[in-house]
Amino acid sequence: MEENTAENTYIIRPNYQHKFKVGVAKECIREVLKEELAGTQYNPQQIPTLCRSLADCIKDRLKEVGFDRYKLVVQVVIGEQRGEGVKMAARCFWDADTDNYAQDVFMNDSLFCVAAAFGCFYY
Amino acid sequence: MHREKKLTMEDTWKTSDLEKHIREGVYDEDNMRRKDRRRRYEDGKKSRSGDGVDRRHRDQEREAPRERDRHTQGDGTRERTKPPRDPDRDRDQDRWREATRDRMAERDERDRERRREKERGGERDRVGDSSKARDRDQESRVRKHERAEKDSRERGREKRIAEQDREQGTERERKREEGRDEDQGRDRERTRERDRDRNREHDYERRRKKERHREREQAHSTKHLKETDRYNDGLQENTLESKKGNERREKHSEKEHSRQKEDKEYREQRRKEKEERERRHREGEEHHSRESRRQEEKPRDEERERRHRERREAEHRLPSDRESRDGRSHDKQRERRPREEGDRQNGPVEVSSEKHSHLDRARERREPKETKVEKEDVEIEKPSAEDHEDEEGTEYYEDDFEEYEEDFEEVDESHGEEDDEGDRSEKGNKEDELSPQNREEIEEIRRAMNAENERVGSAQQWPAVEEAEVSKKDSDIPQSKSTQHGKFMDFVAAKHREVSKKVASKQKKRSTELLRLIDLDFSISFSLLDLPPVNEYDMYIKSFGTTNTKQAYVQCNEDNTDRDAQTEEIEANDKWTQHPGDSGTVCGGPKLTNEASAESMAELNIDSKRLAEFIQSASQVVAVLLEEDRAEKHSLRKLKSQADSLSCSDGCLQLNTKLAFLHGREVSLISFSQVQRQTLLSVHSPPPTPGAVRLDSETILCIWNIWEPSSPQKVLVYESEVRCCCFSPGKATLVFAGTAVGSVVVWDLRERSNLHKTLKIGDHDWTLRYPTFSTDAVLSASGHLSSVRSVEPVPAVLAEGLTPEFSLLPSNEESSGLSFQLASLDESGVLNLWVVVELPKADQAGSQTDLGLKPGGKVKLLHSSTIITNERSSQRDAVKTGLLRTLLLKFFPSDSNHFFIGTDMGLVTHGTRHGLKIPPKFYRPQEAGLKPVHVTAVDISPFGQPVFLVGCADGSIRMHSVKSEQPVMEWAGSTGGEPVVSVQWALTRPTVFCILDAASNIHIWDLLEKDYEPATTEKIQSDRVTAMAVFGDPAKPNTFSGVSLARQSGKIEIQYFSKKWAVPTPAELDILQNILHEAF
Repeated sequence: MEENTAENTYIIRPNYQHKFKVGVAKECIREVLKEELAGTQYNPQQIPTLCRSLADCIKDRLKEVGFDRYKLVVQVVIGEQRGEGVKMAARCFWDADTDNYAQDVFMNDSLFCVAAAFGCFYY
Repeated sequence: MHREKKLTMEDTWKTSDLEKHIREGVYDEDNMRRKDRRRRYEDGKKSRSGDGVDRRHRDQEREAPRERDRHTQGDGTRERTKPPRDPDRDRDQDRWREATRDRMAERDERDRERRREKERGGERDRVGDSSKARDRDQESRVRKHERAEKDSRERGREKRIAEQDREQGTERERKREEGRDEDQGRDRERTRERDRDRNREHDYERRRKKERHREREQAHSTKHLKETDRYNDGLQENTLESKKGNERREKHSEKEHSRQKEDKEYREQRRKEKEERERRHREGEEHHSRESRRQEEKPRDEERERRHRERREAEHRLPSDRESRDGRSHDKQRERRPREEGDRQNGPVEVSSEKHSHLDRARERREPKETKVEKEDVEIEKPSAEDHEDEEGTEYYEDDFEEYEEDFEEVDESHGEEDDEGDRSEKGNKEDELSPQNREEIEEIRRAMNAENERVGSAQQWPAVEEAEVSKKDSDIPQSKSTQHGKFMDFVAAKHREVSKKVASKQKKRSTELLRLIDLDFSISFSLLDLPPVNEYDMYIKSFGTTNTKQAYVQCNEDNTDRDAQTEEIEANDKWTQHPGDSGTVCGGPKLTNEASAESMAELNIDSKRLAEFIQSASQVVAVLLEEDRAEKHSLRKLKSQADSLSCSDGCLQLNTKLAFLHGREVSLISFSQVQRQTLLSVHSPPPTPGAVRLDSETILCIWNIWEPSSPQKVLVYESEVRCCCFSPGKATLVFAGTAVGSVVVWDLRERSNLHKTLKIGDHDWTLRYPTFSTDAVLSASGHLSSVRSVEPVPAVLAEGLTPEFSLLPSNEESSGLSFQLASLDESGVLNLWVVVELPKADQAGSQTDLGLKPGGKVKLLHSSTIITNERSSQRDAVKTGLLRTLLLKFFPSDSNHFFIGTDMGLVTHGTRHGLKIPPKFYRPQEAGLKPVHVTAVDISPFGQPVFLVGCADGSIRMHSVKSEQPVMEWAGSTGGEPVVSVQWALTRPTVFCILDAASNIHIWDLLEKDYEPATTEKIQSDRVTAMAVFGDPAKPNTFSGVSLARQSGKIEIQYFSKKWAVPTPAELDILQNILHEAF
């Protein structure tokens, strides 16, 4: 019954206005990170929940933007700033024409936060 | 039905039955023994319980589990518990029932088949979908059953019973393992029910009864056995059966109808049920949906339930077992009718229940393999037993029962088809064959069962595990309603899984179609964060840099904090330059570096030469001006005071001749420059007695500026006596002199002093200049062999005839440079013409060709031509006069071609340098005849008039016109016979001339005043005047005209004429001309 809604549309490309726009998504992420992380200190007890809430928050925001037929995956990583070098990379098996990702980094004295949102198009 | 049930239940407890079984010596003696024991035991307790057992008994007989059976059993148990019955009667009834059942079996089965087939037609779809679930349900029931048994075992006091239970339990466990229900909720319900069962009084008994039944099952385990038993047992029953036979047949036929009707009625009931469920909040949507799927089953079930309920009521109503039994048949008949009419709710449902029971039994017989189902049914009796006890909650449980009984039905039906025929064929065998065959059959059946169990188990192992866990939990923990909710969730999950499977398959299809169109790649990896490690120092500063630290600085040389203090000053120079750099310095500045200054010094050096020259000349001028100025005032003042000033003069000036080297010398000659009229040349002849002074043997010439009387400008030195001298016609830069030895010498006054010897004479250094060029070295052929009497520059005026105005044209001379001719006349009448040449460059080493040139000198004389003046004149007159000694030479200023030479015969020879001779050849005195009188002086009028004066040694003075041989005027004896030394025209007045005689008298003639005697005569007694020179500037007659007198003592006086003599009258020149004309 549920499938009827998406029956055989076979749209391979998203509409332009619904396409995953990196700039918009990035701005979303940035705003969220700014709001949530401004002035926070690294606290190992609270960070996991914060991470999760951040990811949810970002995901909700992105949904509001209206990336139609996009599966949104949000990953948030928070680490403590202790001077170590950190290198994060992502590799995606996807259709580069339709799918994209946006990421932003928030840093303050005690922590760094990397939030990446991947948008995969539902065919 | 209720009655039937009671009967059947109690049949199981009939000792007679048991005894028969034992007697028949059926296969399992142990079981029998156990059964006996149990029977004995249970017999004692029959009064308490019996429903469960009863039910079990029936279940064993039944082949397919049915709700109806359950309900009927439940009702039956209820009835049994409440009114304790005679076990015998029950047994009888049971036997009877069994017998009838057997007989009826065929019919029933046929009916059932038909009915089932119908049902199946509707159900098959559902079965396909929900088979799993049903299986699970069945299994769960089985499990419950087992659990209940386990509980009973736990509680069981008798080991034997426990053992039996265990035996059965093992079987059941196997089944349990085979089929585990995901519908835990149902399990829970059942477990709850079980818990309740436990609490019940009759639990124990019931279980024991069940066990007994099971034993029986094991003993018979097949329909055959049961049937045989029944046949053996129930001759009595046959009678009963015969009665019921018709009923049953009718029942079956009715059943078919009733089922159809039930389907119709179902909806109403379902509505009610739904309401109930909602009330209980136990059942979710899935339940409904599931129900909806089994629309056909449920109504049946529900009808059955209803019937049960009705039956229960009916049983309650019935006073006794007998009555109930008897009445049952009536009831059934009664019931059938109203059911046929379609009114089930009003009428008792016994018929249907009976039917069901028969059907069940028939099924049991037909499907020996489905022992699990039977067992489950046995268990299902428990809830029904519960129903008896918790009568208020019965509905609650019944709903649950409905659900899983539905499943049973389906399963039964699915199996029913296969078994129908087999059962029929078996029927005969059952009756004939006895224990050995039975045994084999039983074993076969067991094997088959095991195999089946294993099959099912392998298919459903994982849910079995879950259920095992759940069951254990359930056994220990009292269940709550919340667990019941979990049940529904499981349905949801199951459904979800199905849905998701469908979706997945769809998506897979979709993906396979789409993947062709889409390119997936993962070639690019995105760098999400690249945070380089912070180096140690930065980290330190970051963490500790701001705490406990302070920035500070230290400076050595503390008091000098000015930042500029420690740097060196920058050098700066101001410079200027100009372009084009045509002047001496092209660059300069206030502070030049050494280089620049050196350059500028070089420049200055270059300049210094010119500057020196400039200063030299300028200084001369300045000095002259200053001295003039002073001398003029001084002289004027002095003139007044001087006693010896001439009467004709209003002032006199003395040159400072009191110099050491001039001491004792007589001034032989005085000459003024014709251009620089203030420049005076004086010749100091060597003293007659040579003194100690080295210069005494030499002649000294002094150049004076009359405005600077204090000292001579230059001092010239020559070794021999100088007889005559003159300045260059232009500027007074060159001095020419003719010597007694016949040489002509030149002094270049421009030469620098360092070229000459400097002597310190007295307080002053004096530069003694020797001649620049001397003709001494020139070949004698071109030189003078006798002493030179006169040296005269040849005026450079062009010979274009006589110009009326006498002009020296200094500008022309200057413009022509130093290139002019010089004439020198010696005593022998040889007139040499020299060209004065200025060398462009001086040679310090001297010249090899020009031997007369002084080293470093630049002026030399080139011999141009020689004119023998006296030869010609003597050609004719030689007889008469002999050779004339030439004494004086004068060039006519306006025509340089003409020259006049004074001779010793009182004659003046007129000659020309080139061309024909022009008459008069001689200028003679008025007296005829030649007298040996030396012409001592000849002077040509400076005002351009062709008039010249001749002075003779006899004291006569003649004034000749150039054109006539005879003199214009002749004054003899004016001097008193004294020889005339010098005659000179005044330069400012054309008619005035001065005559100096040897008696040092100066006669000044003014032809305007008187032409016969001198206008005035000055007699100078004290110091004889040796030489005289007139000076004056025609341009400035008032201030500058006079006569210079050289005294014997060596003094040189300069007498300024008074105004009378200096300032000319306007017509003076005309008067002179008139005089000349008058004379002719």
